[in-house]
Amino acid sequence: MAFDASGDTSDEALMVLYANGDRYAALALTQRITPRVLAYASRLLGGDRAEAEDVAQETMLRLWKVAPNWRQGETKVTTWAYRVATNLCIDRQRARGRKRQLALEDAPEIADGAPGAEGQLIDRGRLVALEAALAELPDRQRQAVVLRHLEGMTNPEIAAIMEIGVEAVEILTARGKRALSAILAGRKEALGYEDDGHAG
Amino acid sequence: MRMTGMQDDDLDRLLAEAAKHPPVPSAALMERVLADGLALQPAAPGLRPAVAPSRPGLLSRLAAVFGGPPALAGLGTAAVFGLALGYLSPSTLDYLTGATAEAAEFFPEADFLTTEG
Repeated sequence: MAFDASGDTSDEALMVLYANGDRYAALALTQRITPRVLAYASRLLGGDRAEAEDVAQETMLRLWKVAPNWRQGETKVTTWAYRVATNLCIDRQRARGRKRQLALEDAPEIADGAPGAEGQLIDRGRLVALEAALAELPDRQRQAVVLRHLEGMTNPEIAAIMEIGVEAVEILTARGKRALSAILAGRKEALGYEDDGHAG
Repeated sequence: MRMTGMQDDDLDRLLAEAAKHPPVPSAALMERVLADGLALQPAAPGLRPAVAPSRPGLLSRLAAVFGGPPALAGLGTAAVFGLALGYLSPSTLDYLTGATAEAAEFFPEADFLTTEG
């Protein structure tokens, strides 16, 4: 039986199928989990693509190893993967000891359908500025904001990933957004937003 | 609530815009991840190499015809005992069994059959 990234089979069922030797399950898990972990790691690591790929591959390596002993109903596969990726990113950030300065070429590619060249430049500029601002946030605030607003997770899911309470998630997210707003305030012109006099 | 830096709407739009453009994994990364997964995947039960059953020898097959090794052993013992009974003299048998040489007469009335005259 073939599965794909958007199939009805749950991630947890795919883990069981993988452990039973189903090669399509390995493919489906790769297609489903890897892009999410890569995007998350990239955002936590300030857009460092090479390090994000290493984190994604290492996270998936651990997933393959844990699959034969996976306990159904205890943790969602995505929650587990985000948690592992979070820890790997923290380890790498500590190891390098400094936040990486973003370069324009590290900005994510804009998908087809985006506006023309000038518009694309503005969009890329905005995304680069956002990544730079995210990189300036404290680790926990950055994790909460990325999971909530970029990965689209619910607060209970974030609480499970970060192993904290839902209330703490709400506080971290709110503080993170306020800090982001303050960081981005001085770059409104670069972001293409007109100063409407409300800032300050 | 108004933020001190940029307005809520602007920040939410920017975040939503970034969410729509996630970094996309390279084909090379996807291939590496899948290769790891296949290399570490336990073999399917149906694909595991089965231990080939050893072909039974001629004696084993003969034994199976007679009901297996225990039956064959009993048969062999009975055959040897039968041969011994046939070849040994009655006196030796008496010695082995502890019986006296006097045989019981089962058909005393049948003596006339063996007498002459």
